[in-house]
Amino acid sequence: MEIIFDTKHYTDKMSKRPTIQTNEGPPDKYVQIDCEVVRRPDSTYPIIIKPYKLDISQFGEKVRDQMKFTIMNVSDKPLALSTVGLPTDYITVTLPASVPAGKSVEGLIKLKPDALKKEFEKSLTIQLDDEKASRFTIPVKRSLRLPGDTTRAANEPVKTVDTK
Amino acid sequence: MMLKALFIVVLAVALVTVSAIQAAPRLVMPETTFNFGYVPQNSKISHVFWLYSKGDDSVQILKVVPG
Repeated sequence: MEIIFDTKHYTDKMSKRPTIQTNEGPPDKYVQIDCEVVRRPDSTYPIIIKPYKLDISQFGEKVRDQMKFTIMNVSDKPLALSTVGLPTDYITVTLPASVPAGKSVEGLIKLKPDALKKEFEKSLTIQLDDEKASRFTIPVKRSLRLPGDTTRAANEPVKTVDTK
Repeated sequence: MMLKALFIVVLAVALVTVSAIQAAPRLVMPETTFNFGYVPQNSKISHVFWLYSKGDDSVQILKVVPG
């Protein structure tokens, strides 16, 4: 079951707790998602991710199947990086194991072959080994405009559907 | 002989009834919470939770209520 959350113009901490009713009967089951929506993602701590949203859209015939991003450690301690949330059907991510204090490292997302002809909005979550075990989520979006595609206006937003 | 056959039939029916009563769906979710941490505004984020049917009967999802 995929839970999709639109952060819109929310700020600060958010929790959502959808309930699942089944023929098992009460009590209902639930899942919970938590996040902290930031207004200035270019000034987070202890890392700053640039770009903070990854748009891997393809407009034209030239295949666009990967994108780099930078993780800057703005603290005075080295930080280990790990991926704790990844849309594995769509992308792979290459990430250095750690980022030294005051330095930057580069990450790379690559589309899986089956995802090349798909439009989607997913996200990638990275966890640090700082005392808070801080997490940062990077939205990953792909739109497609292939030559001869006249079925959609250029400014029409990508439609997302819960598929699971 | 007739009585013995009747007893076996009654026993079989009773066993089937008991097993039908005991058959129950059971939904198991190894992960029920996920923390995205810091996320930018105006973004769609997503996470997949796995649901497993571990009972004797199929689990039917009747309704998902956004919370």
